[in-house]
Amino acid sequence: MKRNTPLITLLVGAALGVVLLVASMLTTPSSALPNYSAAAASSAAPASSAAPASSAAPAESSEAPEPAESSAAASAPAAAPSPAPTRTTPTADFTGRVGGGGGSVAVAVHGDKAIAYVCNGSTVEGWMRGKVEGDKLVLTGKNQTHLTASYHAGKVTGDVEAHGTDYSFSVPTVSKSSSKSSGLYQATAVVQGKTIKAGWIVLGDGTQVGSVEIGESGEKAVTAPKLDVATMTARIGNVVLHAVPVSGVTGSGF
Amino acid sequence: MTAPPTQPIPLPRKPAASTASLLIVPSLIGALVALALGIYGRVHSPTGIAINIAGFSSPGTVKSWLATGATVFAIVQVGSALVMYGKVPRVTAPEWIGGLHKWSGRIAFLLAVPVAIHCLYALGFQQYSTRVLIHSVFGCLFFGAFTVKMLILPKRGLPGWVLPVVGAVVFTLLVVIWLTSAYWFFSTFGIKR
Repeated sequence: MKRNTPLITLLVGAALGVVLLVASMLTTPSSALPNYSAAAASSAAPASSAAPASSAAPAESSEAPEPAESSAAASAPAAAPSPAPTRTTPTADFTGRVGGGGGSVAVAVHGDKAIAYVCNGSTVEGWMRGKVEGDKLVLTGKNQTHLTASYHAGKVTGDVEAHGTDYSFSVPTVSKSSSKSSGLYQATAVVQGKTIKAGWIVLGDGTQVGSVEIGESGEKAVTAPKLDVATMTARIGNVVLHAVPVSGVTGSGF
Repeated sequence: MTAPPTQPIPLPRKPAASTASLLIVPSLIGALVALALGIYGRVHSPTGIAINIAGFSSPGTVKSWLATGATVFAIVQVGSALVMYGKVPRVTAPEWIGGLHKWSGRIAFLLAVPVAIHCLYALGFQQYSTRVLIHSVFGCLFFGAFTVKMLILPKRGLPGWVLPVVGAVVFTLLVVIWLTSAYWFFSTFGIKR
């Protein structure tokens, strides 16, 4: 009995961890991730089909009971129009200015999923998620924010609408050589009881635009504080936001 | 270590033969813990948000202070261990030193757990800078190493060097984690609550 106290320590710590994890899951507002209706399994494993070791782990996460769309589709295309079993598993990040230059758009493609963010550095912005079907991207977000685009090697071209503003765009892949920090970043925090979600698009020339959604509806947005790309942080008052990359290449944020 | 053959040569001391077998299961479990944390941190999409503790301005400050607390207690760990092993000149181990060692360790561990959960749940395993990569890797390793330490503590018949070495590894990992997080945080944003 007495000799097992280290084990008890360990178990108490593990239990504390589990409690905190569950509490975090319960308190995390659903808006922390942009909701998208079509694909339910937001937390399903990113389709890193090549990693056999990690494929065992995600079983414990809350895989939505909708196997038809999520994982089974990878091996057995039931009715999906994707005829090519080769499936090059595109992973790419695109950033650039929208047509007219009134804002920027970033698209991250990871396997058959994509995340996009459009932002004018002020009130017009929106997060979208969706699926990659063939070379088409159809992404949706809150408040009728949506993006349709076609996806090519090195470029993504299409239209995006957020807050009633339409943009067309044709933006290139993030060039690794031009700027290491170029890309899409997000941060979420609770400030004065309100959930805020910040997004930044950093372009290859180092310019950035960013907005902060206030509240869970995502209707109201303001200009984001500057993201310090060296430290991946930004400050609102004395609250420090920690940004994480959203990248199809690394799978971060998916 | 010279992996001792099981039978042929007459064994010098009995415990030596079983050292590897005593260590292997705890080590494997520890490795699994580290691996599981890393995989979870990588696969789970970071939410950027987790439960917060009142009284602090942001999760970053909460974590920095908790981690700093854990590190302070870890220093107590090293100090008390040195006394227990008689490595401090002119200090004989007082009766309560064992209790101090155990409780400082427990407190340090329990302080570190909420920090780790926030890291795993809200931020995930990241690699966008050297600091972040080191922190992610060592954070996973720390809890693996700590698991090993806890599992081998009750074991009898281990050579004397094992616990100090494992303890030193755990301590070193924690200090690196602290340097790459709380120290960085405080030196970047200033010391604040």
